Amino acid sequence: MAEATLSRQTTATQIALVGNPNVGKSTIFNYLTGLNQKIGNYPGVTVDKKTGSVEINGEVFEILDLPGTYSLFPNSEDEIIAHRVLNHTKLEARPDNVLMIIDSSQLSRGLFLSTQLIDLGVNLAIILNMADLAQKKNIEIKTYELFKSLGVPILSTDARNQKGLEEVKNLISQRNFCKAPSFVDIQQVIPAEMLDLVQKKFDLENSYQAYQLIRFGTKDKAIAAGDRIWLENLNQESKFDLEEAQLEETKIRYKKITEIVTRALIKKTEPKKLKSNLDKVFLHPILGYVVFVSILLLIFQAIFTWASYPMDMIDGLFADISARISAALPDGPLTRLLSEGLIPGIGGVVIFIPQIAMLFGFLAILEGTGYMSRVVFLMDRWMRPFGLHGKSIVPLVSGVACAIPGVMAARNISNWKEKMITILITPLMSCSARLPVYIILIGLVVPDEVMFGIINLQALALLGLYLLGVVGVFGTAFLLKLILKTTEKSFLLTELPPYRIPRLGDVGITMFEKSKTFVVEAGKVILAISIVLWVLASYGPPSRMDQIRLEGEVRLENVTDEAQIAEIKAETSSHLLENSFIGIMGRAIEPAIKPLGYDWKIGIALITSFAAREVFVSTMATIYSIGGDLEDELTIREKLDQQINANTGEKTFNVATSFSLMVFYAFAMQCMSTVAVVKRETKSWKWPLIQTVYMSVLAYLGALITYQILS
Amino acid sequence: MHAGEYRPMTADTLPLNKSGKIVEIFSSPLKINLMELGFLPGKNITHQHSAPSGGPMAFQMDETLLALRKSEAALIRIEQI
Repeated sequence: MAEATLSRQTTATQIALVGNPNVGKSTIFNYLTGLNQKIGNYPGVTVDKKTGSVEINGEVFEILDLPGTYSLFPNSEDEIIAHRVLNHTKLEARPDNVLMIIDSSQLSRGLFLSTQLIDLGVNLAIILNMADLAQKKNIEIKTYELFKSLGVPILSTDARNQKGLEEVKNLISQRNFCKAPSFVDIQQVIPAEMLDLVQKKFDLENSYQAYQLIRFGTKDKAIAAGDRIWLENLNQESKFDLEEAQLEETKIRYKKITEIVTRALIKKTEPKKLKSNLDKVFLHPILGYVVFVSILLLIFQAIFTWASYPMDMIDGLFADISARISAALPDGPLTRLLSEGLIPGIGGVVIFIPQIAMLFGFLAILEGTGYMSRVVFLMDRWMRPFGLHGKSIVPLVSGVACAIPGVMAARNISNWKEKMITILITPLMSCSARLPVYIILIGLVVPDEVMFGIINLQALALLGLYLLGVVGVFGTAFLLKLILKTTEKSFLLTELPPYRIPRLGDVGITMFEKSKTFVVEAGKVILAISIVLWVLASYGPPSRMDQIRLEGEVRLENVTDEAQIAEIKAETSSHLLENSFIGIMGRAIEPAIKPLGYDWKIGIALITSFAAREVFVSTMATIYSIGGDLEDELTIREKLDQQINANTGEKTFNVATSFSLMVFYAFAMQCMSTVAVVKRETKSWKWPLIQTVYMSVLAYLGALITYQILS
Repeated sequence: MHAGEYRPMTADTLPLNKSGKIVEIFSSPLKINLMELGFLPGKNITHQHSAPSGGPMAFQMDETLLALRKSEAALIRIEQI
């Protein structure tokens, strides 16, 4: 085993937070660490490693937030991580102490995982969180009784209302964790000789660790192949039914837990088993969907209206910085790299922050209220035929605003195949960056007329493009369902937690953390690509480029009229772009894009807009030497309308070419931010590469068919 | 509760707003997932909600509302109470 995986970055005492989903674990993690959070990797899986630090009485502790899990039986990547960290010390450094968080109103379920931790021999302390909820349900827990039965320190908290959290800090700083005596004797279900053999070979502390390794070690790819084969052989030789043993263990464990719970839990009154009134509406077979669609519309309305202000500000700010730099510094390659390459590159990353932050803010609110799992409940049946999970609805819906937060939201899907399909198809949803391209092209070829008295033709065309995206999403998902293989079984099996008011602090931290992750992790890739593209667009064979610049200067010599100066300058930049490396590439790909109805000038725009599809509009403006205000759509549209395709002698942007382009942009990846985020989420270049290729092929074929039919 | 009215069935066929007592969980890779969530013989469950067109079902068990696919509910053998 490599030493690197064993070493920790800090020497601080490490405390792992463990718990079932929806027990308020993140609230406690956020309370302890605030904004001192770090996101790292576990080798070989796509699960993020969330750590943070907290200083208590002058001493620093490292807090590790493990994914929520119901047991140590690994069914998903999340659970494999929990299993790996807590189980065998050789693959991941084992935390010094473990803080188990239990929902007080779900005592038995929490104790199931807690007693497994006890059996593993970890240093444990238990927090009974959500005291308020237990109170509401008229449940009282005799903490001392519980402590006597389990033998580990127990605290009661209400993290949402900030109650009992100081005590948690004290517990951590006093290292008030302890190793309790084993809870279930695993030798009851598995032969002792087998356990001893494994315990000795792998140098383990106790027989429960040995049992976990026997049961799950053969499936964990992080274990050396030789060891896996050894375990496999052992299992086969013993002819012992491990699955049956695991079920037996579960039964024994729950039986003992029920005994404890009977002693430690007082139900003051029998709970009223009334349906939640909200669920009567939110889970209603018809009203439920009406509510869901209304909430979606509200969110998009908010994002499109509110996000545009900060986005325009960021846009203006970076344009301003660029202008100031080029004015302040002497003209030269370095200045231009700074003002035309680097600054707009950074701007291109920052511009996404408002949308990402807002979308994640809304998602965190929906998640925090408990509504999100209701959406999963409603949508699962409609997603499954396409190899997707009910949880896939969140990324897909986010994709209408922006694919980046959509792809990032896919990590909540635990099944590998469903997660991959979701990530691969989300960028096909028509995101907000496609809008400027659609609007320009629709404005060119679709008349602004009303059909049947109510339907605006341009709006109809736009709707058609959005629907095209949706068809692409589900068609591709269906194909991927047939191609991708997994042995993991898909399941829903989820809790629908009680409705609660979300904590704004947690929402804020989610917004901040997600934006930070995007800027830090995806930013590097985006910046690198935009600089490469800038170099290709600004440089060309020196002799030709110099000649064009010189010609421009000569033409400017005797001109005083400002409008004329602007026109000559615009023409010069147009010539420069045409003769740059990208211009040469645009000409080179002309034979390939000719069947789609494009000339080499459009080819240039296709290449430059690989970074971000909205760049198409500004490149078009440069190529057709449209000086002045780019915001003015009408000028661009008029100019484009006048262009004649040298190959056909017709208008360049006729109906066939324009629709062909729209279909191309509906399907093509053309967004390096998405590529970078997919790389981050899948932890490999393989998937973003596959995705870019399949989307480009789809875009090419779609555009080809469109052009051939319409022309 | 009607004594003597023993009708073996699985949870996916439990009518809306009716309750059942879990008798056993059928063998399946998902058996352990069901059990770790607390679906154990002897527990009472009440069918609270159904998503349309054969979608998931939601059962109340003790203090929690749990969502299952129909195929997952079919693994739970119950007797109606």
